[in-house]
Amino acid sequence: MIEIKKVNNRPLNLLERIYVWEIFKGFLVTARHFFVNLFCPGKIITIQYPEITRPLEHAAKRRTRHRLKMRANGTPKCVACFLCATACPAFCIHIEAGEFTSSQVEKYPAVFDVDLSRCVMCGMCVEACPEDAIAMDTEVIPGGVLKREDMYLTRNKLLQNMPGDPSIKGAANRLA
Amino acid sequence: MPKITIDGKTIDLPAGATILQAAQALGIYIPRYCYHPALSVSGTCRMCAVEVDKAPKLQIACATEIADGMIARTDTAAVKKARKDVLEFLLANHPVDCPICDQAGECSLQDYYMDYGLHKSRVAPEDKIQRSKHRAAGRYLVLDNERCILCTRCVRFCDEVTKTNELTVSGRSDASFIDIREGKSLDNDYSLNIAELCPVGAFTSRDFRFKQRVWFLKRIKSVCTGCAAGCNIEVHYNENTVYRLMPSPNPETNTWLCDRGRMTYKALQAGDRLRKAFVKKGSMEIEPAIRHAAHLLDEAARKTGPESVVVLGSPYLSIEDNLALAELAATSLKTSNLCLDFPREQGVKDGILINKDDAPDANGLKLLKARYAGLDQGALIELINSGRIKLIVAEARALSSLKEKLRELSNIETVILAVTKSDLDFESACVLPYAANFETEGHFVNYKGLLQKTTPSVAAPDGVKPLWTVLSKLSSCTGAPIRLEDAAELRERISEFIK
Ligand code: SF4
Ligand code: SF4
Ligand code: SF4
Ligand code: SF4
Ligand code: FES
Repeated sequence: MIEIKKVNNRPLNLLERIYVWEIFKGFLVTARHFFVNLFCPGKIITIQYPEITRPLEHAAKRRTRHRLKMRANGTPKCVACFLCATACPAFCIHIEAGEFTSSQVEKYPAVFDVDLSRCVMCGMCVEACPEDAIAMDTEVIPGGVLKREDMYLTRNKLLQNMPGDPSIKGAANRLA
Repeated sequence: MPKITIDGKTIDLPAGATILQAAQALGIYIPRYCYHPALSVSGTCRMCAVEVDKAPKLQIACATEIADGMIARTDTAAVKKARKDVLEFLLANHPVDCPICDQAGECSLQDYYMDYGLHKSRVAPEDKIQRSKHRAAGRYLVLDNERCILCTRCVRFCDEVTKTNELTVSGRSDASFIDIREGKSLDNDYSLNIAELCPVGAFTSRDFRFKQRVWFLKRIKSVCTGCAAGCNIEVHYNENTVYRLMPSPNPETNTWLCDRGRMTYKALQAGDRLRKAFVKKGSMEIEPAIRHAAHLLDEAARKTGPESVVVLGSPYLSIEDNLALAELAATSLKTSNLCLDFPREQGVKDGILINKDDAPDANGLKLLKARYAGLDQGALIELINSGRIKLIVAEARALSSLKEKLRELSNIETVILAVTKSDLDFESACVLPYAANFETEGHFVNYKGLLQKTTPSVAAPDGVKPLWTVLSKLSSCTGAPIRLEDAAELRERISEFIK
């Protein structure tokens, strides 16, 4: 909850105008943090992100790095219908459809890239997917990488099932 | 003439018109699947039911002829219920494959479901009848029987338009399905029209399949340059790529489009598309190649006189490009050896669309011939075969069309203008590429004398320019420019031909 703090803009009194006393008060704050950090590391507020992260709460888990689900036979559930790419407000999903000759599910994503450096983590792609093929529940928060390419997810990096998968939802599944 | 009132609006139409046509004239939309303005009425889908006064039950608008004093309504509760029920029947066994269906986005089932249906399916997915999926049907089509709603538009098209009768409805009642007749295969010259007129995703195009979702496509009207018919088309493109061509019906030219015409866009992406010039079989940037071509022209004129150079017009090129060729001969090379005479047999070949003449602009070339005269084709061939000619400037397909009549060209140098390598029939000292008809505006005159123009939809590869620009640059390098540097100059010069 954000609190509103009203600033009191009264004129400075003599002690404040002398300045030295106020500086000394400031030093006390710095010194307190220094000694707390030195002697009780458990109370440090700052987190060394990205090496350390805080556990995510509730719905926040559903706004983490994408993944593409797989069917039990190891094929991607995604059928390259382009609905996620259409819904994406950041235009960061790039898909190229391929044709399955061996499976009744005629269509699969030959290319499926998500550019996380442009993604706004809105979750619209998950919402739009009619095949329940894309999810944002990996609990990995993107960012804190050293190379731009690490923000670019390709199909093979995205394909990953979680414990409990594969789900059976999605119209094309009956054909698989 | 009978007078009919639909939803309170009245109209007079000649006897024989149907309620659906009357509604269309009044601007009232009646949903339909099996009705198609260019095919016979079959009345199989029942989607167009309307209420007619004094009729005991709902009538189908596509097959009911209007009568004087008839009063029809399309907005009553009974009509709405009928539409909803028809949709529920049509969708009872429908797979709802939309995510893998190419029709999604332009599917009447989707559209009408949102407009009139919105029902919950009462048939569980596992109880739906399963049928054959993605069955290959001829060169260009794929048939998915599960998605078919048995409107028989495809059957009627093959029976009435192409008269090749490849399709039929097999089986009875709810086991009926669209089938290819025994011993036939669906490969008439117009088969891709079936993918288009199928209101659902049962017939889809193998060529367009999965390439792009239809809602991403932008559309622009243009003209097909596959033959002299001059069919009007709609180019569907996105992000500088053409994905498919569709007919843009025009009573003067076409309702349908032939398969070959639909595939003309392939030249743009073909592996042998010329993106660079060729000089003695070596690839070269376009600008230096133009200078090289100018050098060849200068050399020939200097050594053996301007009369040793021939310039050919082409029935495959637009009026603009032929004008530039004619100007190149007259102004720049100052040779009288210009040939604009390409007599071609014209006329509808198969009684539908395809023309005997596969060149789109033989008649446009005649307009230029009236102004620039030039040699007759016979005289030209004689001249070339006589051995007095040292250099030919020509468009690739025009030169190829004379191949049989010409003797060995090996000791004549050529500057050839081409879009793809496969058009090249001759070894050439210099090949210059130019922008295709999807990349630049050009005027064409079809076999009936109708003047039409193509509209650019995508950009030409880097550095590739319209032919008239290429020729203008070429002429500047020879020192006698034809002055066709920008579109305004071009417009002024061709205005006399495109009145
Ligand atoms: S989360 Fe939002 S921005 Fe990111 S890929 Fe999905 S739709 Fe696009
Ligand atoms: S919406 Fe789902 S099925 Fe469609 S392309 Fe995206 S991930 Fe694949
Ligand atoms: S025909 Fe295709 S797009 Fe239309 S409803 Fe059926 S599956 Fe969906
Ligand atoms: S295949 Fe298409 S056009 Fe033919 S009957 Fe079925 S739905 Fe109609
Ligand atoms: S459109 Fe009238 S019955 Fe199909």
